[in-house]
Amino acid sequence: MSTQTLAPGTDGGRDTTSRPRSGGLRALTRSVPLVPAILLLAVFLLGPILWSLYGSMTNTALTGYRAADPQFVGLDNYTSLFADADFWASVWITVVFTLASAVVGQNVLGMGLAVLQRMAPKALGSAIGALVVVAWVMPEIVAAFALYAFFSTDGTLNSVLGVVGLGDTTWLITVPLLAVILANVWRGTAFSMLVYRAALSEVPTEIEEAAQIDGANRRQTFFRVTLPMIRRSISTNLMLTTLQTLAVFTIIWVMTGGGPGTKSSTLPVLAYQEAFKYSQVGYGTAIATVTILVGAVFSIVYIKVLKPEVD
Amino acid sequence: MTATTVPTSSGTPGTRGGRAGRAPRGGRVMTVASPRRSSSRLIASAILVLVGVAFLVPLAWILLSSVNPSATVSVSVPSSLTTENFAAVWNLDQTFRPLWNSAVISFGTAFLTVIVGVVAAYPLSRYRMRFQRGFMYTILFATCLPITAIMVPVYTLFVKLQLLDSTTGVIFFMAATSLPMAIWMLKNFMDSVPISLEEAAWVDGAGSMRALRTIVLPLMRPGIAVVLIFVFTGAWGNFFVPFILMTSAEHQPAAVAIYNFFGTYGSVAYGKLAAFSILYSVPVLVLYLVTQRLSGGSNALAGGIKG
Amino acid sequence: MRIRRAAAVGAVAALALTTAACGSSDDGDAAQDSGPRTITIAYQKTSAFHQLDDLLQKVKPEFEKANPDVTVKLAPIEAEADQYYTKLALMNGSKDTAPDVIYEDTFQVMSDAAAGYLLPIDDYTAKWDDWSQFEDAAKNAGLGVDGKTYGVSMGTDTRGIFYNKDLFKKAGLPTDWQPTTWQEIIDAAQTIKDKLPDVTPMNIYAGKAGSEQTTMQGLEMLYYGSRDGADLYNTDQKKWVTGDQGMTDSLDFYKTVYDGGLAPSLDQALDANIGTKVFSELLPQGKLAIDIDGSWMPGGWISGENAWPEWEKTLGFAKMPTKDGSGDGFTSMSGGWLLSVGAQTKSPQTAFDFVAMATNKDSSLEYDTTNSQIAVRKDVAEDPKYLSYNPSFEFFSSLVPYTHFRPATPDYSQISSVIQTEVEAVASGQKSPEDAAKSYDEGLQKIVGKNNTVAAG
Repeated sequence: MSTQTLAPGTDGGRDTTSRPRSGGLRALTRSVPLVPAILLLAVFLLGPILWSLYGSMTNTALTGYRAADPQFVGLDNYTSLFADADFWASVWITVVFTLASAVVGQNVLGMGLAVLQRMAPKALGSAIGALVVVAWVMPEIVAAFALYAFFSTDGTLNSVLGVVGLGDTTWLITVPLLAVILANVWRGTAFSMLVYRAALSEVPTEIEEAAQIDGANRRQTFFRVTLPMIRRSISTNLMLTTLQTLAVFTIIWVMTGGGPGTKSSTLPVLAYQEAFKYSQVGYGTAIATVTILVGAVFSIVYIKVLKPEVD
Repeated sequence: MTATTVPTSSGTPGTRGGRAGRAPRGGRVMTVASPRRSSSRLIASAILVLVGVAFLVPLAWILLSSVNPSATVSVSVPSSLTTENFAAVWNLDQTFRPLWNSAVISFGTAFLTVIVGVVAAYPLSRYRMRFQRGFMYTILFATCLPITAIMVPVYTLFVKLQLLDSTTGVIFFMAATSLPMAIWMLKNFMDSVPISLEEAAWVDGAGSMRALRTIVLPLMRPGIAVVLIFVFTGAWGNFFVPFILMTSAEHQPAAVAIYNFFGTYGSVAYGKLAAFSILYSVPVLVLYLVTQRLSGGSNALAGGIKG
Repeated sequence: MRIRRAAAVGAVAALALTTAACGSSDDGDAAQDSGPRTITIAYQKTSAFHQLDDLLQKVKPEFEKANPDVTVKLAPIEAEADQYYTKLALMNGSKDTAPDVIYEDTFQVMSDAAAGYLLPIDDYTAKWDDWSQFEDAAKNAGLGVDGKTYGVSMGTDTRGIFYNKDLFKKAGLPTDWQPTTWQEIIDAAQTIKDKLPDVTPMNIYAGKAGSEQTTMQGLEMLYYGSRDGADLYNTDQKKWVTGDQGMTDSLDFYKTVYDGGLAPSLDQALDANIGTKVFSELLPQGKLAIDIDGSWMPGGWISGENAWPEWEKTLGFAKMPTKDGSGDGFTSMSGGWLLSVGAQTKSPQTAFDFVAMATNKDSSLEYDTTNSQIAVRKDVAEDPKYLSYNPSFEFFSSLVPYTHFRPATPDYSQISSVIQTEVEAVASGQKSPEDAAKSYDEGLQKIVGKNNTVAAG
C-alpha cells in the first residue's frame, strides 16, 4: 500500500532455509493455485491492453457505417494523432496536471503535513490528519461534487474572496487547469501524507539527534539526514502518485468536463471525448493506448531504478 | 490502480509482519524546555490549522447543505435545519437500489479478489519457484499501470465478450485491477506466518491447501480483513468503470446514480445531492475506522508471533 | 525476460478466451412475437423534459392490457442531450443491452441505421392504417441512406427568437420587436446591457456539453441565413461544403455576442444544464431578455413542475432574420424525434406495435400538445384540441416556409460535434472565427475525406 510494501528489506518471519525444494512435477502442482489469478489477470487486465493495441489500429466508430463494419487501418490513427494539435495540447495538459498536482502538490504538501504533525500538539495533528484522510477516503464522485461547488462562480471560494472584494473569478472557466490541479491535491494528499508519516516514524531518533549534536540545525538535519534516509519512500511515492494521477478522470470530468474547449482535457478525458462524444472509438483507443504505454514506461523505469525485492 | 487508491492506515499493512515492534517515534529532537521548540510548535500549529480549514470547507459544504432547506453551491450556515433533503432521497430508486448495487459490486469484487489473491499468494510465499521473480515483477508492474485510463477499449472488449451491463463483468474487471496489489499485500502478510507450523501439518499428510485453510488463514485474519476492506472501498468509490460498463438504471451503483442525479437536477437540488452524498460516503468512512483498528491488531499479531 | 514470458502466456490465454466468447455468441435468436416477452423502451428524461415519460407511463399499462403476454420495461435515460446520445450509443453497441424501442433524434437516424442499430420497419408500416395520416416530410425524416424507414415521427419543431416584453419595455425597446438583420439583434442586446445591467441580454447556445442544441439552435440558425443558399451539405453534388465565408460570419456573431458580454457567463453557457436553466430559471425569472430557442419551450410552461402561466403575456416571439435580411429574409431550423425499433429486438412486431400505440392519434396529440410540437399527423394537426392548446403554435407554424433541415447523411452527427467544438472555442475566446472556421474544414475533411468536400461558391 505504501512505501515499505514495495520496498526491499521487508522479508518477514518466513524461514527460507527450511523451504521445501521443488522438483519438476511438484513445481507444476504447486503453481496450480496461481491459475485463477493468472486467468483473471489475463482476461481482464492483459486482455484490455492487447485489445487496446488492436482497437487502436481500426477505425471503429460508435455509430455510422464504421460501427457496423470497422476496418483495420494500421497506424493511421497514430499518424493523425501525432499530427493533431489537440493531442499534443492534451499531452502537455497531462504533464502539467501530473507534475503540479502529484509530483509537487501532493508530495510537498503531504511531506509538509507529515513533518508539521510531528511538531504540533498531537491532538491537533491527528484532527487535521483525519480531515485530510476523509477527503481521500470518500468516494471520488462525492469529492468531485464538493470541489465543483467550491470552485463554482457562486461557490464558496468566491464567497470567501468576496469579503475582500475579489469574488468574481470564474475559476472553472478562466483557470480550469489550476482548479482541477488544486482539486486533485485536495483529494490525493492524504496518500503521500500517510506514506511520509510512516516513513518518518521509522527514522531512528538517535541519528537525527547525533546530527544536531554535531551542530546541524533543524533544517539541515531534515534535508541532509532525514530526507536521504527516506529517499526510497519518496521515490516510490512519487511513482505511485504519478501513475494514479495519470489515470484521473472523475474529478476533471465533473468539474470542467475537460473544458472550456480542451483547456483541461488530460489524456483519459480526451480519449473519452473522442471515443464517446465524437464517436471515433478507434481514435480514442489510440489515445488510451498511448496513455497506458506512458504508464508502462514509468512503471518499468520505477522497477529498474528502485529494484524492489520481490521474494 | 483501484487498489492503490483505497485507504491505508498510517502504517504499512503489507509489511507489518516484518517487524516485531516499531522504532520509537522520531523527530522530537529538541529538549522539552527549549523556547525554539515552543515557537516552532506554534508556527506548525498555525500552518496546520490553515491547511485544515482548506480541507474542511468543501467537506463542510456537504454536511451543511444536506440539512439546509435552500442549499446553494456556496457553503453557508443554514437559517433553519431540515431533514427533508434526506427524506426526499430516502427511497428505493434514488438511494437504496443504487446503494444495494454498490454493495453487491463491492462485496463481490472484494471477496473474489481476496479468495483468488490468498490462493495465489500461498505458493508465492511458501515455495521458491522458477518463474517466481518474473511473476512478482509482472504483478508489481501491473500494480502500477493506470488501467482505468483505458476504459475506451475496455468498453469495446466488454461488448465483444457480451459482458456489458453485467454486474458479474464489472466485478471481474474490478477484481482483476485490484488483484496485483492484493496479491502483493497478502503475500507479505503470509510471509509473516512462520512456515514451521505448516511443516507439522505436512508431516501429518495434509495437503497444502488444507494447511493454508486450517493454519495460515486463521493467523492472518486481520491482514485479510485489511485487504478486503481496501478492495471494497476502492470498488465502492469507483465511478469511471460502472459509468462506462453499466448502462441500465437498475444496475447502476451509487456513484453513477449520483452523477445522473446531478446531471438531471443538479442546478436545483444541491441539498438532496449533499444528502445522497452523505448516505453514500458513510459506509466507507466507517470501514476506514475499522481498518485503523485492525491494523493495530495485525501489528500486535506480528509481535506475538515473533515474540 | 521473465516478465516478457509471463506476459506472453497471459496474452495467449486472453486471446483464447476472447475467441471462445465470440464463437459462442450466435445462439439462435428467432423472432419471438408470441408467448411471454419483455420489450425495453429507451428514452430521455430530464427535469425539464418529462412529457415523454408521462406519455409512456400511460401507454405502458394500456399496451400491457391489450397484450397480456408482454411486459413493457420503461428505461428512461436521465441525462441531458449530450449524455443521452452517448448512453444510447453505448447501449446499442451490445445486443444484450440494446433496447427494443428507441427515442431517436432525427439527425441520428441515418448514422444509427448505417451502424445497424435500427430495424427497417417498412413491412410493418405497410400494414398500419395510421401510416397514411403522417405527412410526407415526417415520413422522410425516418428514412435511412438505403431509403428504408427506420422510425415513426412523433412531431417536428421550428426555431425562433423568444424575447421578454417586460424587459424590452424597461429598456425602451419595442414590445412588438422583429429584427431584420443580425446587427439588429446585437443592437437590441446592447441596449439591454446598457439599460439593464443585471439582466443577461441574450442567449445563443455555445457549449460542447449542450450538444445538438448548440449546433441547431445555435450555429445553424445563423449559418443557414448567413448567405443565400447556405447549406452545410451540397445535396446536388453530395459533398460537404468547406471554406464558406458564411461559417466565419456565423462564428463572428458568436464572438461579438460572447466577447461583448451580451451572452450568459461562460460557466453557465458551457454547462450541460444550460438548456434546462434557460427554460426553468433564466426566462421565467426575467433574467434573460433574448433567447434563440425551439418551439417546444412553452410546452413545459403550460403545465407541470415548471409551470409558468405568465409566459404568454411576458414573452414575445420573433422570426430569426438572415444576416442582412436578404434571401427569404428569415430562417429557421426543423428537427424532431422519432420512435424507432432496435435492430437487436427479439420481438420486432411487438416492438412496432408499441411504437404504433405511442404514435397513434391520442398519443401524438398528447405528446404534440404537452411538448409543444408541430404535429405531423394530419388528424392531430386538424384537431381543435391541438389548435387551441397553445397560443404559440400559430407563430411557430408560420416559420415552416423559412425552415431548413439538417443534412441527411450518416456523417452528420460527427460533423455536428465538430461544429460544437469550434463554436465553444470561439465563444470561450480560444480561437478566432477565422481559425475556428478553418478547424471546422479540417475536422470535416478528417471525417468524410477530402474527396467528399467541395469549396463554397
